[in-house]
Amino acid sequence: MASYSSDRRNVLKLFGAISATCTFPFAGEELYGQTAHEHQMIVPQATNRFFNETDYRTVARIADLIIPPTETPGAIQAGVPEYIDLVVSRDAAHQSLVADGLRWLDSQAKEMGSDRFIDMETRGQLEILEPLCETADAGTSQARNVQFFGLIKRLTADGYYTSKVGLIDELGYKGNTARSSYPECVHEH
Amino acid sequence: MIYDVVVIGSGAGGGTLASQLANSGANVLVLEGGPHVNTRTDFNTHALPFEFQSRHIPTMRPGKPGYDGERSRGLGGKTMLWNAVALRFSQRDFKGRQHDGVGEDWPIDYADMAPYYDRIEREVGVCGNYDHLEDLPDGIFLPPVPMKCSDIAIQKGAAEMGVKVIHVRKATLTRAQATRPACHFCGNCMAGCDVVAKYNSYDVQMAPALHSGKLTLRHNSIVYELAVNDEARVREVRYFDRETRAEGAVEGRVVVVACGCAQSVALLLMSKSSQFPTGLANSSGQLGKNFIPHITAGFELFLDDFVGKPSENDEGFLDHAYIPSFMHNQQRDYARSFGVQFGYHNHRAVGWAREIKGMGKAYKEAVKARYPAYMTFSPYQEMLPNDDSYIDLDYEHLDEYGLPRARRHWKLSEMDMKLHNDMKRRCQDILEASGAQIHSVSQEPSTNHEIGGCRMGADPRNSILDSTCRAHDVPNLYVVDASVFPSSSEKNPTLTIMALASRTADFIAERLQKKEV
Repeated sequence: MASYSSDRRNVLKLFGAISATCTFPFAGEELYGQTAHEHQMIVPQATNRFFNETDYRTVARIADLIIPPTETPGAIQAGVPEYIDLVVSRDAAHQSLVADGLRWLDSQAKEMGSDRFIDMETRGQLEILEPLCETADAGTSQARNVQFFGLIKRLTADGYYTSKVGLIDELGYKGNTARSSYPECVHEH
Repeated sequence: MIYDVVVIGSGAGGGTLASQLANSGANVLVLEGGPHVNTRTDFNTHALPFEFQSRHIPTMRPGKPGYDGERSRGLGGKTMLWNAVALRFSQRDFKGRQHDGVGEDWPIDYADMAPYYDRIEREVGVCGNYDHLEDLPDGIFLPPVPMKCSDIAIQKGAAEMGVKVIHVRKATLTRAQATRPACHFCGNCMAGCDVVAKYNSYDVQMAPALHSGKLTLRHNSIVYELAVNDEARVREVRYFDRETRAEGAVEGRVVVVACGCAQSVALLLMSKSSQFPTGLANSSGQLGKNFIPHITAGFELFLDDFVGKPSENDEGFLDHAYIPSFMHNQQRDYARSFGVQFGYHNHRAVGWAREIKGMGKAYKEAVKARYPAYMTFSPYQEMLPNDDSYIDLDYEHLDEYGLPRARRHWKLSEMDMKLHNDMKRRCQDILEASGAQIHSVSQEPSTNHEIGGCRMGADPRNSILDSTCRAHDVPNLYVVDASVFPSSSEKNPTLTIMALASRTADFIAERLQKKEV
């Protein structure tokens, strides 16, 4: 027997299923409940960042290694670091996870002969991050450093694929147009 | 002034009934708990996520008051943000107990409803294909929209299992009608349709009915109590202003509750009196009981045929196809059945990219390759009523207005779980036959489409309303939303809410005319 009683958040999500875009996780979920009534369109401006300069650069570097520039721009050019800064600035649990994670990265860097993660060559940085990514993807570890990487990857994916660069240039989103009729499928199946 | 009819709620049920009665000459007042909404200028229909700092597209435009999640409080109710799937129930849906021996039958038949389905389909416009199915009656249809290429892949896989995939049926125009244009397939229906190609109860029904001079809309009026007199008739509808909190009361010869399932039940439960100490019209003790929401599962998948192909503009009006119930006539160890909605995802949302493995160039390529192949797939099942599934009031957690919240409880029986598990297994088979890599499967059942809690029935001892949706106990009180359904079917409820509201409106008009109210 499965038994459920709806709390307020579940109720909101339930109605999200009826009224929002789909029943599956959507980008922006990290800010769920905090931005439901936020009606501000983006205004380009010099914002006060939550992260200090070094942490910001480190987070940006990780994001750009997760989604690097190829024929299309990578995470930094897509504004992902700004998005991560915003999300983390609004969540105390994220803040402590990121602080621990960044400390751990620098400790790894020291073991490999660098002062800080941000000073390392790409190769060294990937040597630290790639095994972490594999463990995070497996979803079985509760270790802080793994959870930290999982968070940054999630926020990078959300931030990148909801950016103009990610959605339009990289994925080739073509919707949101007006057409007079819907075409019949002409593919062979 | 005493109105002929006071309607509480302006969604599919309230909007249909109020406009029909006003057009027939009755003096109608609609009390809507939320703000006025201008469909053409208040929604973010054509926004993209990067236009917002949070990358989350808000429901309403900057500075516009809008819906509050739990109640969809706002003009038009949930019809503003719905997906518009419009299916008729079949005779089996009205007589489930006769069909498989459990649950509850409706006090009416398909034949009672057919003329009202006709009327609603003509009035609001429903597109669909004439499929001649025994369990999903055809309606009066505008031309269907072609299936998406991805739907054809599913259709082919399903055919291998002997399962039929049909064109979806939606209350969205595929041909211009009256003042409304045909759908232009921008792909963001559930953000609110700014051209009203998709039905909503305000623009399609209530706004035209305002010309009758008989319809009054009062926004931001939150009803908290229906007071009764000694003859067990509703004497007064008490409300307060959502913004100023100023209290008010109105009188109607007839009062119709149409707040959207759980909220209608909550209003009746709150309306306690010496005559009705456990809630209005609750002499049976059944108010809030028999809560039977639709139970769903969710799959996310990538169709092999489309992996690595160029991205196309295939958003259309979200889902273009539907899998009607195919288990109701087969050998099985459970009662009732399920249907499947799929391909309703919006390409502006790429939440699944989080779970793609890896990092770097290979990760980026993996996401890009899957983007044109992504699909959502959600079966909906009927659940049977049970004692552990009900709506009650939570006086411990009052809402921002100091009113108790409606609390939903639901528990699936062993039989419901058998259906749920079989439904997931059969969906998986269809997907595998269609060449799909399954990306995620829901672990637990979840609910959608709130149904039940104030059911209609022939016997006043186990139902709240009679077959005309009038309360057995209170002769001038009616309810018209999905709370009145004695059984839920697996089919989407809104067209049936509207047809039932239209039928009830006819009874009310007749009773007003004969002065029988």
